[in-house]
Amino acid sequence: MASEITNNGNGEMSKEERKVYDRQIRLWGYDGQKKLREIKVLLIGMQGLGAEIAKNLILSGVNSITLKDHTEVSILDCCSQFLIPRDSQERNRAKASMSAAQKLNPNVKVIVDTTPIEQNVDSFVTSFDIVIATECSPTTYKRLSELCRKAKVKLFIADVYGLFGYFFQDVNFKHNLYGEVFLDNDKIYTDSLPAKIPRPYFLTSALLKFQSESNRKPNPDTCEEDVEELKSIVNPILDQLNIGNNIFDEYYGELFCELSPTTSIIGAMVSQTAIKNAMDKPIEKYNVFFYDHIEHEGQFHLL
Amino acid sequence: MAAAIAGVFQPEMQNLIKESKVLLVGAGGIGCEVLKNLVLTGFSELEIIDLDTIEVSNLNRQFLFNKESVGKAKSHVAKTSVLKFNPNVNITSHLGDIMDTKYGVAFFNKFKLVINALDNKKARSHVNRMCLSCDIPLIESGTMGYSGQVEFIKKGVSLCYECLPKSEPKSYPMCTIRNTPKEPIHCIVWAKFLFGQLFGESDEDVSVDQTVYDGTETKVSARQWAEIIEYDPKKLLEKIFYDDIKYLLSMESMYTGKKVKPVLLEPSFFETEVVEYRHVLDSEVLTLEQCKSMFLDCIVSIKQKLDICQNKSLVWDKDDDDFMNFVVSSSNIRSAIFNIPLKSHFDIKSLAGNIIPAIATANAIIAGQIVIHALRILSGKYERCQSVFLRELPNHKGQILVKDKFLQKPNPKCMVCSTDGEIVLSIDINNITVKQFEELILKKKLNMVAPDVLVDGRMIISSDEDDELDLYEKTLAEAGVNHGSRFSVDDYFQNYSIKIMLQHKEKAQEEDPDFEIFGNLEELNTAEKNNEAEPEENDEDCLIEKDESCVERVDDDLSTSDEQAHDMVTDKKQEDDSVIKEDMMDSDPEVIKVDQEISNEEILAMKRKADEASEDINEAKKSRVD
Ligand SMILES: [Zn+2]
Repeated sequence: MASEITNNGNGEMSKEERKVYDRQIRLWGYDGQKKLREIKVLLIGMQGLGAEIAKNLILSGVNSITLKDHTEVSILDCCSQFLIPRDSQERNRAKASMSAAQKLNPNVKVIVDTTPIEQNVDSFVTSFDIVIATECSPTTYKRLSELCRKAKVKLFIADVYGLFGYFFQDVNFKHNLYGEVFLDNDKIYTDSLPAKIPRPYFLTSALLKFQSESNRKPNPDTCEEDVEELKSIVNPILDQLNIGNNIFDEYYGELFCELSPTTSIIGAMVSQTAIKNAMDKPIEKYNVFFYDHIEHEGQFHLL
Repeated sequence: MAAAIAGVFQPEMQNLIKESKVLLVGAGGIGCEVLKNLVLTGFSELEIIDLDTIEVSNLNRQFLFNKESVGKAKSHVAKTSVLKFNPNVNITSHLGDIMDTKYGVAFFNKFKLVINALDNKKARSHVNRMCLSCDIPLIESGTMGYSGQVEFIKKGVSLCYECLPKSEPKSYPMCTIRNTPKEPIHCIVWAKFLFGQLFGESDEDVSVDQTVYDGTETKVSARQWAEIIEYDPKKLLEKIFYDDIKYLLSMESMYTGKKVKPVLLEPSFFETEVVEYRHVLDSEVLTLEQCKSMFLDCIVSIKQKLDICQNKSLVWDKDDDDFMNFVVSSSNIRSAIFNIPLKSHFDIKSLAGNIIPAIATANAIIAGQIVIHALRILSGKYERCQSVFLRELPNHKGQILVKDKFLQKPNPKCMVCSTDGEIVLSIDINNITVKQFEELILKKKLNMVAPDVLVDGRMIISSDEDDELDLYEKTLAEAGVNHGSRFSVDDYFQNYSIKIMLQHKEKAQEEDPDFEIFGNLEELNTAEKNNEAEPEENDEDCLIEKDESCVERVDDDLSTSDEQAHDMVTDKKQEDDSVIKEDMMDSDPEVIKVDQEISNEEILAMKRKADEASEDINEAKKSRVD
C-alpha cells in the first residue's frame, strides 16, 4: 500500500526529496543519501526505543523499514512510545505505530509485521541489509546474533532500562558475538574480557540475567523486589572483583520502563551508527556502547 | 507519561516532574525532540515559544511537523502534535520573539527551569540575562552536523552564556569584496550585497562600486539607476559585468603587485542567445553562458516581486529560488571575470545562506541529555550538571558523549553575570555616531534590547522615546564623549547594566577595526604591544580612499535571516563551514582531527583548566560546537 507513494530507490532523487533532505545532504553528500535510499531495515520491537529508531531512520530516508512486533500496547508505552496516538483503537504495537511512522516521511516504505521473530525461519533475516532488535529475550538475541553473522547481515541489539541503556553491534563480523559478550551462565565475568571492564557491563549483564530468569524486564510495580533480585545477581560478581557493592546504588532507582530521555539517546546512537554503516563509514572498532545516566557519558567498547 | 506511573521515579522526583513549570525557547530541531521528551517524561506544565514557521527543509528532523504543516507556526503545530500521544499535559504555545518586551521578568518568573533550543547568539544572550536576573536555572544547547552540546547555567554557580568571549562571525574587508576578490566567497558576499543595492532598502551610505551611475549628471544610487532603466536585464548585465569592470581596470594603481586583475568578458558574451540551464542539477556547476541566462531570467522575476510589493524593498532570502539564482549567477559571472573557480548552486547556497547541516539523531541525543540535566537540576544536584559534548566520532577511548570533569565556576570578570563588570571600549570617537554606537555596539555586539546610556552622569541615549535627546546623528565626540569617559549603560528590560570605559583610538586606515572591546585596560595595552611587535603584514593595502561610515567590513551574515541553522549553537558562521567541509570529506574514522579553528573561547577554557590538564577535557573541547 505504501509503495504507491514512495520514490525511494526508484531512479534519481526528486526535487522534492532534495529539498526535504537538504540539511543532511549538506552533511553526508548526495552519495551518502543515495546509499541510504537503498537500505532495507528490519526493526524488531516497537516500544519506546523502537519508536525512536523508527523515527530516526524514516526521517533519514532509508528505502524501507519493517516494523516487527507481535505484542500489545501497554500502559507503560506512555513513558516513551510517541508513535502510538493515545486514542488509538489498534492493540498491536506495530500496527498502532504505522500511521504516525509513515507520516514522518512518505518516501520511505513502512511495512508492518506482527509475527514473532521466534516463529520466523532462519533465513528470514537475509532479506534485509540491517537488522535492529529491541525488547527481545536474551535467548532470541543470541539466535539473531548467530543468524545474522552467518548471513552477513549487519546487526544491532539495543535495550533501555529506565534511564540506563546499551547497544551491541556486529557490523564487520569480526568481534565477539552477542552470546559471547553477554554470557548466559552464572559466571558473568570471564577472563577473556579486557582487563578494564566498564562498570556498566556488570549492570547490563545483571539486567539480562534478570530477564532470562524472570522472563521480563524489571517493572515499576515490583520495583523493590526487582532491585533486590538485581543486587543478588550483581553483588557476588562485584565481591569477586573487589569492587564495592554500592557502586550502583544510584542507578537502581531509575531502571524501570523505557524512559524517554534515554530512548532518545540510545535510539539516536543506534540509528546514527547504522546510518554510518549504510554509508560505508562504520564505527567498527567496537561492539558495545553504554549510556551511563548517572555519569552522563556515552562510550563505545570492544568486549 | 512516566511520572504518572508509580514506581518509575522516586516519589520526590515524581512530584517535581509533575509540578515544575518549564519554558522551552525554540521549537526547531532540538526543540521538537525536547518537547517530546519532556511530555513523555511527565512534565505537565509547559510553555513553548518560537517565532518561526515551518519550512520543507525542516522536515528531515523536526519530526512533529509534516508536509501539511509547512507555512504554519512551529510552536502551535508542535503542541498539537505532542497532544496526540499525551493529551494530559498543559502546554501553552506562543508564536513570538522571546526578546519581545512582552516576555519580561514577570513572564520568566513563572518558571522553575528554562531550556534554550535556539539558533542564534542574540536570543541566547538575551535569555541568559533574563534567567540570571530572575535567578532561574537555564539549560543551553546546540547542535551542528554530528556534534552538539548541553550546558547548565545558574547564577553564581556556573559559567553563564557570556562568561567567555564568543567567536565572531567572519567578515571581509570591503575593498576585497569590491575590487580584489580572490575566492568564491568574496564574489558570493558581493552578490548578496549587490542584491541589497538593486532591490533592497535604498541606503545611500554604501554603494557597491565607485562608478557614477550616470544617465544624468548627478550621482544616483544603484537602485535609482536600476529604476530609471526599469530593471532592463541586459542593461544591468552589461553595466555590472562590463562597464563597472572596465572602470575598475581604469584605476591602474589598484592591481599592482600580486593582485589578480579582472579580465573583461568578450563583448560577444553579452550578445549571444540565451541557453537552457533549468535541467542542470544543483550539484553541478553551470557554464558561464548558463549563468548569464539565469541572471537575465531572475532579474525579470525579481522585478515582478518588486512590483507586487509596490517597489518597497526586498530582503535577500536563501529560500527564495529567484533570489538564490541571482546570487548563483552573478557571483559565478564575477568569479569568471576574476579568474576564480565557479561553484555549484548547492555549494553557493551553503555559503550564501550560512547553512549549518542538521540531522535528527544529533538533535535527539542532545535533547535526551537536556532532559537528564533537567531532572538533576530539579533535584538540586547542580554539581552533576557539567557540560556534555557530543562528538562527531568517538575519541581514542571510545567516548562519544563526553562531559567536563567539573562544573565550571562563573568568570568573576564576566561583564554579564558579575556585579562589577566593566569593559574597555577602544574606538575612534570622531568616526562613530551616537546612533551607530547604539546599534553596532550596544545592540549588535553587546546584545542589549533597550539601553539607556549615561556618560559621566549625562544621558546620551534613552530607551524612552519621549526623551528627545537629538543626539543620534552626532558623533560621540560631538555628544561630549572624551578619551577616558565612563559610560553607565542600563537595560531596564533585561535588568542588566554594565560600565564601559572609553579609550579613544584614531582609525587610521580602512583595515583597522571599527572598535575593539577588552576586559580591562591591561588587556588593551597588551593587545597594542602585540600589534606593534608584529610587522604590518598587510599586503592588502587598499588604495581606494575610504568614503563612508564606519561600516567598512562586510559581515558575512549580511541580510541573512535567522532562519538558517535552527539547531545551531552559535553564529560562528563561515568558520564552521570550513570545519564542516572537513567533516564531509572525512573518510578515516580512526584519525582524531583537530578542528582547523579553535575559538578564543576554547583557548581561554583550555588555559583556565591548565592545572586540571586533562586530556579528556581538551578532547571534548575540540568537539565543542561553539
Ligand atoms: Zn557570566
